Amino acid sequence: MKGLIKKDLLNLASYKTTLLILIIFCGIGVIGSSVNIAPLVICTIIGMISLSTFNYDEIAKSNKFILALPLTRKEVVLAKYILAITGIILGGILGIVLTLLVVNIMNIIRPNDLLSINYQSLFINALSGMFGISLIQAIQIPSIYKFGAEKGRIQMFVIIFLVIILIAGAGFLITNLGLNINTQEITNFLNKYGIIILIISMILMYTISYKISSKIFLKKDF
Amino acid sequence: MENAIEIKNLSKQYLGFNLDKISFSVPKGSIVGLIGENGAGKTTTIKAILNIINAEGSIKIFGKDNQKDEKEIKENLGIVLDDSFLSEYLTAKGVNSIMKSFYKNFDAKKYFAYLEEFKIPLNKLIKDFSSGMKMKLKIATAISHDPKLLILDEATSGLDPIVRKEILEIFRQFINEDGNHSILLSSHITSDLEYIADYIVFIHEGKIVFNLETAELLENYGIIKCSEEDFLKLKKEDYIRYKKEKYQVEVLVANKNAILKKYKFKVIDKPRLDEIMLFYVKGEK
Repeated sequence: MKGLIKKDLLNLASYKTTLLILIIFCGIGVIGSSVNIAPLVICTIIGMISLSTFNYDEIAKSNKFILALPLTRKEVVLAKYILAITGIILGGILGIVLTLLVVNIMNIIRPNDLLSINYQSLFINALSGMFGISLIQAIQIPSIYKFGAEKGRIQMFVIIFLVIILIAGAGFLITNLGLNINTQEITNFLNKYGIIILIISMILMYTISYKISSKIFLKKDF
Repeated sequence: MENAIEIKNLSKQYLGFNLDKISFSVPKGSIVGLIGENGAGKTTTIKAILNIINAEGSIKIFGKDNQKDEKEIKENLGIVLDDSFLSEYLTAKGVNSIMKSFYKNFDAKKYFAYLEEFKIPLNKLIKDFSSGMKMKLKIATAISHDPKLLILDEATSGLDPIVRKEILEIFRQFINEDGNHSILLSSHITSDLEYIADYIVFIHEGKIVFNLETAELLENYGIIKCSEEDFLKLKKEDYIRYKKEKYQVEVLVANKNAILKKYKFKVIDKPRLDEIMLFYVKGEK
């Protein structure tokens, strides 16, 4: 299994410079307009990159070769999830670190126009980014195993589009139907349990997703 | 004789294709050539042996079940697949660090010695390699953990004759290294198998047409080119297949010396493997 993760990391290393430039520019750009969104964006980029390892596999048709090696099919699937989850955690951490770094540098450069950081919302935004991308990964990975990376990419855009429509639709309904929602109560609840709910949801999503992927991969012919 | 691979009644159904209860074995220390046209069932057979596809039937490798003892068996297998490898975006050096994690016995020294022998660059991306270089890298990767059995799917296809010869020599070297080494090699290039294989298994439309020793095929088999009148004198049990051409009848026989003694034919040609295949597929009995 170590070999599989190594293979994916070496694959990704082939565009490390592009990645670095992308993160730095994105980080600076986002921090310029809103400090707290930076970790969310950076985490999303890194999370998506770990999914791109499936494309490398598809180009080299590597699954056939990998299954001829002394590995079990479960190990092959598990390696992908370890990489995906590690990517998200690293993305979150990198998002926060990079934001702090850029904000401090900018504050040194522009002492008259200081940027302030709200640590709690920085952390919550990083976690929200992690949650969003883990939701996409949890749906995408089994789907890629079933239909292939090419179709999976189209499907990902459809999922993101649907999620946006769903959220916008819910917002529209709430405002237009004149529903009386106690937002204060919801905010209090989320402040108290939001982080735990997000973390538990992520664990659950990955567990279910892994089980489905394993089931698909165990039966699949290559 | 002990077998490295033993296949019994292997079947697999796809839409429009049926691998139909095929059975054959790869004796230890030998090279078995799996031959057949594109889509005959060679790759499906190899995939079933490697447990890459689910198929019916019994497959034993080193006397063990290919599914129950999969991991243990695969430690001793070297695999070369024509259209599949780790990645195109790795270097030969990177392949070493990955393969070390897969095989307990992966010998980096041996691997780099092969790369040097094959003139493979260490830090160039595989996608920029020529077809011959890619194949040589795959072979170096497959034999550097000292496997007992090499399984090669179309390892010489798409390569020029010089590189093909070099690669066949590598296989010969692998077999000569140790009496326990065996090879199962699929190809549709008949001359390669004539050159290297001890046994030929001919698959056609998902069925085994023949499974014979190469020496027997090439030395004892013969092609008679005669008139229809002379052909009619031949007893049915004395020939395998015949083909009616425009001016003559061509007949494939199994024991040319016996036929020469029994009938008055002056010349019986030595057949090539592709000619024998054509007789089996296109000829009549």
